[in-house]
Amino acid sequence: MASNISYDLIWEITRQNSSYLVKRKQAGGVQFSRDPLNLTNKHSKKYEGYANDKAIGILPGENGGVTLLTKKTGSANKPSSALHTTKFGSNKSSRKTYRSIVSSTAKKGYRPDLRAEAVSRASAIRKSQKPVKQDKPAKLRGAKARKANEQ
Amino acid sequence: MTTRPTVTVIGADGAPSDSTHPLPEVFKVPIRPDIVQSVHTGIAKNKRQPYAVSEKAGHQTSAESWGTGRAVARIPRVSGGGTHRAGQAAFGNMCRSGRMFAPTKVWRKWHQKINLGQKRFATASALAASSSPALLLARGHSVTSVPEVPLVVSSTAFSGAAIAKTSAALALLKAVGAGADVDRVRASRKLRAGKGKLRGRRHRQRRGPLVVYNPVEDGRDLVKAFRNIPGVETSSVYSLNLLQLAPGGHLGRFIVWTSAAFKALDTIYGTTTEPSALKKNFLLPSALVTQPDIGKLINSSEIQTVLRPVRGAAITKRQNVQKKNPLVNKQVLLRLNPYAAAFSKEKLGQASVKQDEVKAPTKQSLTLLHEN
Repeated sequence: MASNISYDLIWEITRQNSSYLVKRKQAGGVQFSRDPLNLTNKHSKKYEGYANDKAIGILPGENGGVTLLTKKTGSANKPSSALHTTKFGSNKSSRKTYRSIVSSTAKKGYRPDLRAEAVSRASAIRKSQKPVKQDKPAKLRGAKARKANEQ
Repeated sequence: MTTRPTVTVIGADGAPSDSTHPLPEVFKVPIRPDIVQSVHTGIAKNKRQPYAVSEKAGHQTSAESWGTGRAVARIPRVSGGGTHRAGQAAFGNMCRSGRMFAPTKVWRKWHQKINLGQKRFATASALAASSSPALLLARGHSVTSVPEVPLVVSSTAFSGAAIAKTSAALALLKAVGAGADVDRVRASRKLRAGKGKLRGRRHRQRRGPLVVYNPVEDGRDLVKAFRNIPGVETSSVYSLNLLQLAPGGHLGRFIVWTSAAFKALDTIYGTTTEPSALKKNFLLPSALVTQPDIGKLINSSEIQTVLRPVRGAAITKRQNVQKKNPLVNKQVLLRLNPYAAAFSKEKLGQASVKQDEVKAPTKQSLTLLHEN
């Protein structure tokens, strides 16, 4: 990164308008982000991956499981090799997935402020990959139950 | 930063070559979105086609006012009879088939004069912004497959009119990692909403990479090779245009440089101390604040030494805690009354009060008492 550009400057340039920003007039004008390196999808300096030297991204894996993305420091000008990717398969237990995510990032001092967000995003992705449980058939009451009993 | 940052020159096959080039001084210019935006709005107005309504519109009738006394408004009215038009009001902007209010004229002030210094500042600033992958991504370019930003392709790939065909140009863009951005443009092509469709602006699409070449060394064959690839534009390094460097006034256009063009930048723009060879009276602007990183500024020893130490940093106020009864909870009792530890250790609570026996009053004291 050249000496005239900092992440603070990048944030100030892009906070009003950027390709990742999703602005809606509903709900008091919410602002979300499409950045894959944004753990909460909120448009803010803390969570935007492109506006930070170090950033964590957690995405659903191709065959279940989750993929962990982290930015390599020092290769900011080399986009094709700027990301470090780790895959956690669907067979790995959720708890172990969270533990490895935390131990490879927050515990090493890599964005320790994003520990809870990383775990909750991984958890939400794992939960979405589970099959949806069918509702139990409703138990009949009153007249309907009597009618069903007669038959 | 002590070492001067260098940029690797990439070969025609997309592999980094041995040769590198130091980053030209233009890329160290302060990035000023405010200047770029205001200059862009001015420049964008300079290519407009004049339009106006017909000079005659609304005046092609011989209407005259009827004057007072006819119990109708004094607006000019169409003369004659035998048709519905006769007697109708004419000319006024409030009239049916009258002229518009303040009819538009072709001699409107269509162009904007922008100060040359501002235009040069904006161009240099837009060039500097094109060296940040984060700004490229935030502008919407897909550059995740690009090996390095700024992307410099060796001029040997263009020499001898090697890139004269669109297929060769497309293959080159794909090899250097710019293929994703071209695909993004191709996928984005949509029919324009509204009347613009009838006015030669039928489709709208994203902007792709801008290929900047040096016409002296690279030749001009590549212009024809690239011009039919959607979204891709070409520009000579000697005549860069802000409308291409920052489309819509948004910083961070993805630029593919030829190495000859990249080398020419230092002679075209000069440095902050050496005037440019080609632009009269031009020095590159330098930043008022040299450290743009706020975190580094705050944590610098110069600032930290003049700050007073943080008061009560170790003690944080706990919120929403349950109230404990000090009569039951000994730790809370000790916090309120440190003496309680010694009190219970000495078993003062259980000790009986020592009292000396009361001596019977002596005769002397009694007599003294009674005398009073």
